[in-house]
Amino acid sequence: MEELHLPPIDYAAIAPLLLVFGAGCVGVLVEAFVPRAWRYRVQVPLLLAGLVAALIALISVADKRVSTAGGALAIDGPALFLQGGLVALGIVSVLLIAERRVERGGAFVAQASVVAGTDSDRRQSSQPGATEVYPLTAFALGGMMLFCAANDLVTMFVALEVFSLPLYLLCALARRRRLLSQEASVKYFLLGAFSSAFFLYGVALLYGFAGTMSFTGLREAAAEAGSEDTLLFLGIAMLSVGLLFKAAMVPFHVWTPDVYQGAPTPVTGMMAACTKLAAFGGILRVFTVGFADINLDWEPILIAVAIATMLVGAVMAVTQTDIKRLLAYSSIANAGYVFTGVLALSEEGVAGTMFYLVAYGFTVLAAFAVVTLVRDADGEATHLSRWAGLGRRSPLFAGLFTVLMLAFAGIPLTSGFTSKFAVFSAALGADQVTLVIVGLISSAVLAFPYLRVVVLMYLSEPAEDTPTVSLPGVFTSLALVIGLVATIGLGVVPGPVLELAEQASSFIG
Amino acid sequence: MTIADVLLLCLGAVATGAALLVVTTRHLVRAGLWLVVALGALAGCYLVLTAELIAWVQVLIYVGAVVVLLLFAMMLTRAPIGPSEDLDRTRWPGALVGSGVGGGLAALLIHAYRWSQVETPEAGTAERIGTEIFRAWVLPFEVLSVLLLAALVGAIVISRPDIGAGHQGRTTSHGDRRPIGINSDNGAGGEETPAAHRSDHPDRDGGEP
Repeated sequence: MEELHLPPIDYAAIAPLLLVFGAGCVGVLVEAFVPRAWRYRVQVPLLLAGLVAALIALISVADKRVSTAGGALAIDGPALFLQGGLVALGIVSVLLIAERRVERGGAFVAQASVVAGTDSDRRQSSQPGATEVYPLTAFALGGMMLFCAANDLVTMFVALEVFSLPLYLLCALARRRRLLSQEASVKYFLLGAFSSAFFLYGVALLYGFAGTMSFTGLREAAAEAGSEDTLLFLGIAMLSVGLLFKAAMVPFHVWTPDVYQGAPTPVTGMMAACTKLAAFGGILRVFTVGFADINLDWEPILIAVAIATMLVGAVMAVTQTDIKRLLAYSSIANAGYVFTGVLALSEEGVAGTMFYLVAYGFTVLAAFAVVTLVRDADGEATHLSRWAGLGRRSPLFAGLFTVLMLAFAGIPLTSGFTSKFAVFSAALGADQVTLVIVGLISSAVLAFPYLRVVVLMYLSEPAEDTPTVSLPGVFTSLALVIGLVATIGLGVVPGPVLELAEQASSFIG
Repeated sequence: MTIADVLLLCLGAVATGAALLVVTTRHLVRAGLWLVVALGALAGCYLVLTAELIAWVQVLIYVGAVVVLLLFAMMLTRAPIGPSEDLDRTRWPGALVGSGVGGGLAALLIHAYRWSQVETPEAGTAERIGTEIFRAWVLPFEVLSVLLLAALVGAIVISRPDIGAGHQGRTTSHGDRRPIGINSDNGAGGEETPAAHRSDHPDRDGGEP
């Protein structure tokens, strides 16, 4: 038998990935061998240390532009920038997930399998939450980092599953409102499996068309074949369905509000920030590396998707009465804005998209952090009517939330303005005037629900049973401060990060 | 038309017919058994296409493990296996969407290939697939192990009632003995959960937002 040669692997380039996956694997071992009382105290520092080490490793390989592991991974500018963004947002998410001061035992249930509402369920409500969430979070973040760097369709599919599966599980583990949480998880799982099947079918068709899985090979084959190939177009369509589902674009967005509402709020924040970033990282690579040279017949469909996403997200957000659902629809509309940057199909567009994703991620994480703090006896008070008069009870947090809402609305001097400016100017540069006009209209519509929350907090009379704002523990405070600093910082001095994104905006291969 | 073509057509017809029966039969166990036929016929297709390893993997994993797991899940959860009023819906919307998508895809694929001949590649022996996996696809292959690990951890978190609580979790209430984590007092199958457990649930908030 001939000897088997592994493809050369640049371990330095994939060190960040290995560190995050490694932290997850060690976390599983901790679950197995460390006494229960110590697990939380071991898991949190372990995961945070893994993520910080991954960030350091990313900075140390920042100039690398290689394709490694037999062409499966492309460690190029966008991959490194997005991975950096993912790790940074991941650290903030983990801070929120690790918070145990706001609610005794944390936001996660101790035993997910106990039937909601039974005696043993009431008994377990005083127990600390399951610590398995930390390795699951690590696996999800590692999968997302892999997704941003995947350079062929197989690796991309595997990465998609690696980050989706832990998220399905994390959604089911909310301590309060367990039925809603389990329902969210089942919905997300079933629809997610369905969209994965679409993705896989698209991969199969594209392989049938090109005879290769790599994006560069696809691009060459597509350039030769011209535009009249059914297999290619069916493949692109199917693949796009899978990707747009993960990015929560209309018409594949129906799962978003239910899942965002049912999932534990820290996990919702992670989905809104990190999953969105990873999904668009994959979309960027597929559309700018894989299908860039193809005759642009498919572009009008995607423009229609972007327009529908911006409008539906904004209009539906106006009608919401639950803060988590409101933020969910706002994240759908924001996915539409990000997609305008993608559709510019230029390096400027890539830079704008990446900047938007990172800026939006920090703001949305901070917003969900505030949501975890507004509580009454039944847990988080997410209904908007309960937020009335919050500005008088707790001026600090109401003020903080106001800043975040203004950032979402795109007021100058916040990151929301600079990031919208970045994607819309890129879209204008690519002559996508319609998209920009729709984007501006939709932003104006979307400002209404945000400002309504602000008005509600300051101008409405507080009801008798207004929920209290819990004092955040160290972790949530840290997450809030990071989110606020990033929101204001990226609005006032966006230069350094924007420059970094521009330097990192060219794909290899 | 060679013998391979005829075999492929026959096996394809068996697979499609059995798949149709999977979704149309009103009895859950029968659906599971028809799945065996459908997946088995698909394994036959792989064999005809000379992908022998894939065929055996199909038999082992899908026909063997997956269907057995399916039937075990039905057995252990004591889920109702006959037709149920709560879960059955009118069929024509599903049939319309299903046949529309299936027909559309079939038409497009037939249009794409027409009468073009695709050369049969080299036989897909175990050796060739092994070489491919450990040369070109070693990284995704290794990452798959992470996926499996995450799935294992998740399965334990979601289904084991006795972790995380020590002796406190092992009570004898009816609900706790159910081995699968997704409990069913959300409407369907509610007759299994005693009414007392449903009425005084402190944070029960139904499904509707």
